[in-house]
Amino acid sequence: MGWFRQLLSRRRRYDELSQSIREHLEEKIADLIDRGMTREQAEHAALRAFGNVTLIEERSREVWQWPTLESALADIRFAFRQLLRSPAFTVTAVTTLALGIAVNATMFSLVSAFLLPRLPGLDPQNVVVPTSINPDATFQASANPVSAPNYFLWASDKHLFSEVAAADEYRIGSLSGPGQQPEAITYAAVTANYFSVFGAVPQLGRAFLAGEDQAGRDHVVILSHGLWERRYGSDRSIVGKTVRFNREDYVVAGIMPASFRHLGFTPQLWAPITFTAADRAPNARKNRFLYVFARLAPGVTLKQAHSQLEALAEQAQHDFPEIESRWGATIRTLPEFLIYNFDIRPAITILMAIVGFVLLIACANVAGLLLARAVGRQKELAIRMSLGATRVRMVRQLVTEGLVIALAGGGIGLALTYLGIRFLRAALTFNEAISAMPVRLDSGVLLFAVAVSLASALLSSVAPAIKASRASINTDLKNETRSASGRGHNRLRVVLVGGEIAIALFLLIGSGLLIRGVYLIDHQKLGFEHDHLMTAGIGLDQARYPDAAKQEKFVRDLMTQLRQIPGVMGTALTSDLPASGFNSVTFHIKGQQATRANERHTTADVVVTPEFFEIIGVPVLNGRGLTDLDDATAQRVVLVNQQFVRKYFPGRDPIGKQIQLDVSGSPAAWSEIVGVVGDMKSYSEDTRFEPQVFEAYQQRPVGSFSLMLRTSVDPTSLTPSLRHTAAQLDSELPLLRVMSMDTMIDLNRHGNPLFAQLLTTFAVLALLLSALGIYGLIAYSVGQRTQEIGIRLALGAKTSDISRMILRDGFKVALIGSAIGFVVALPLPKLFASVLEGDLSFSAPFIYPLVLAVMLIVVLCSTAVPASHATGVNPTVALRSE
Amino acid sequence: MKKKPEHRDLFAGALELMILKSLHWRPMHGYALAQRLQSISEDYLQIEEGSLYPALQRMLKAGWLETEMGISARNRPVRIFRVTKAGRKHLEQELESVKKMFAGFNRVLQLAGRQEA
Repeated sequence: MGWFRQLLSRRRRYDELSQSIREHLEEKIADLIDRGMTREQAEHAALRAFGNVTLIEERSREVWQWPTLESALADIRFAFRQLLRSPAFTVTAVTTLALGIAVNATMFSLVSAFLLPRLPGLDPQNVVVPTSINPDATFQASANPVSAPNYFLWASDKHLFSEVAAADEYRIGSLSGPGQQPEAITYAAVTANYFSVFGAVPQLGRAFLAGEDQAGRDHVVILSHGLWERRYGSDRSIVGKTVRFNREDYVVAGIMPASFRHLGFTPQLWAPITFTAADRAPNARKNRFLYVFARLAPGVTLKQAHSQLEALAEQAQHDFPEIESRWGATIRTLPEFLIYNFDIRPAITILMAIVGFVLLIACANVAGLLLARAVGRQKELAIRMSLGATRVRMVRQLVTEGLVIALAGGGIGLALTYLGIRFLRAALTFNEAISAMPVRLDSGVLLFAVAVSLASALLSSVAPAIKASRASINTDLKNETRSASGRGHNRLRVVLVGGEIAIALFLLIGSGLLIRGVYLIDHQKLGFEHDHLMTAGIGLDQARYPDAAKQEKFVRDLMTQLRQIPGVMGTALTSDLPASGFNSVTFHIKGQQATRANERHTTADVVVTPEFFEIIGVPVLNGRGLTDLDDATAQRVVLVNQQFVRKYFPGRDPIGKQIQLDVSGSPAAWSEIVGVVGDMKSYSEDTRFEPQVFEAYQQRPVGSFSLMLRTSVDPTSLTPSLRHTAAQLDSELPLLRVMSMDTMIDLNRHGNPLFAQLLTTFAVLALLLSALGIYGLIAYSVGQRTQEIGIRLALGAKTSDISRMILRDGFKVALIGSAIGFVVALPLPKLFASVLEGDLSFSAPFIYPLVLAVMLIVVLCSTAVPASHATGVNPTVALRSE
Repeated sequence: MKKKPEHRDLFAGALELMILKSLHWRPMHGYALAQRLQSISEDYLQIEEGSLYPALQRMLKAGWLETEMGISARNRPVRIFRVTKAGRKHLEQELESVKKMFAGFNRVLQLAGRQEA
């Protein structure tokens, strides 16, 4: 309790101390006067003998204080008083930092949610994901799913993994029931040990039992929390009951907790996967569809596992050169795999780097402001030092001021972060996986904001503080004019502002290139007419449509019915929708020497009905189109696109040539090229056209396909009649992704508008902050040079000369900064191309001069204001000031 | 006034010991204490008057001194510093150790120059 009483009585102590000292001095003065001094002399003499009263009082007080904490508190109080005294400075500095901190913390909420995911289950960090490496893919090549034979091989290696599970993650199934609309759901077919590899247990019921992934025992399902809530109203008694799944009866074994999700990707239901003898045959190596999750055997490191997998892949290349040639294998930890697979890291990295730069600019601004202030306070500091304040103490005082500014900025920044995160949450809804992510102001973001505030306090105040405290007592007290002592500080400020402009220009160019790249993609011609097109996906199951004949009959009936709907002008079927990604296959050209495995031709392969090209408005340029006569009994034919001809038959006529496509699950056959069609984009986000081959549906029926309806009315208005028509033919068949083609393309573009919006916001913020920086610098130097300007005017300088002089100062800084930023930004297109997968085009040379012009105009504007102030200087007033 | 801080303190606590001893002889206010120290040290020691105060505060905090209101020679109300019981005890201990220290110090100074027998 001693410290507490001490705290209370301290005020009294301090008063007593001051009293004692005053008494002391009064007694002494009285003595000295008695000895014949005048009062004035006596006062001087007494003070001289006593020493520095303030300092002594301070030292005496320190006896009662906890030295560091208390003087820190005093510093903070003092800093507050100082800052309140110059509100314009404070508001500018705090706002600048608040913006810088807010954009950083907001972006960090994405990092926290996407790149530092909290995964379910028992120590998920130790789950590993081995994958195949696809030699031909440009997108996520090293996270390719694994074929069943490779899974069996890896799982049997007990020295490598202690437990291995496999999952076919993205299956589509149907849930139906009497009186219910059939619903298509995404589900995962998994091995029985799937949940135990993750160390996860159901919230209700049980996980799969060993052996439930054997045919005959496999009619059990586990529901996701979301599906249980939505479709079954969180009914606990559903466990043990039967549900209608894929037209068959399955028993619900358990419900997983809501927390069991992997970065947004959560199947709605899990069913056991069953492997057949065919899955073990060498030919099954072509079907790479399994994601493998495993735990390493005791003592095995990730690196060892990696080299072991590479060895196995090499062996497979050797044993099955036809299929496995050039295919590799790799392994990642679960978090690494999910982040890679989610493919959001490049975008977040770029955004995070940009906001980091914005913060740097903000700090440079605040540092500049503090420097300018330090010049104004030169005398105050010199006086305080001559009164015995130590240098360390001065630096601490100035850093404290920076800290108070940064923390105030951090506080306001957090409030802005809250708003920013709300904005992000509202904007991040472009797909289910993204909107499921918990982007929020969590402890991680909070901690980050505090850390960023502290770092910016240091960044912005240490240099000015050290510089200011180095001021020498003599020169600063003697110097009557402020301008002379300000030169050194100004030089530092010029460097700061020049750096700001360099960074801002760099950011503007970078953002400009990225935005241009995104714009090009969003506005490129897709090569077909996508308006007034309705689409729906259908997957015909083996249970009701076991053979091609049944499937074809259903398709024929459905097409006929759909054409009856008013507003439908035509219908077509396609195995994959254009602009949404076509299947890729390898092929041979007849008459060409057998190509070696590593230089196989590849092409997109699409199965369509004859009307397809008319429906989507793609012209047949050469030869003929497909007809109803191209059926199973006729010679197999294909159409190819222009790009196919350019790549594989340059300068030659492809019509009549024969090719053979390597389609898994379909017997090899030679097909004749009968026509050439116009180019269309396989994927809306790809900038290039790729070679495409179109097969006739009647010659190669597929069970999973999309319908396309050309409409004369708003396509979405046909949704009910489309569903109704399908249900009349098969009431248990769900329709997938019932939406217009335009909506589908928008979904593909998912994050692009948000990405571009964020980039623009940050780049503009950087521009504004650096404009503020150069404005502050020039305005300040004009203020300092009032006298000089007054003299110039008095000596007959024209006002235009003065403003030209000021503008020149601004431009000198801007040009040097811009030149640096410009040069540093030159390699950006290459950098982006290497960081961002895909074929975005970032070479847009016009961005460079454009951004430079914008920058110089902004500099001109922010310099013009102080320049016009300068010309308004009244010589007589200016010369009298000081 | 010449100030040579490196000569000001003889050893740690010397000033405090002198203050304690003076106040033990008679409770005094600050100015009187300063005068007293000045006169009896006969200017051998340069004591800046102000430097008494941090020392006085340290000793107040340690509980060796207490203050009370009194009257100065000029009949003004002043704060008088008085040695407490704890202060007295501390003074005795310190004097003892200082004496021993000086004895040792003297001995070293006397003998350090001589040849060993």
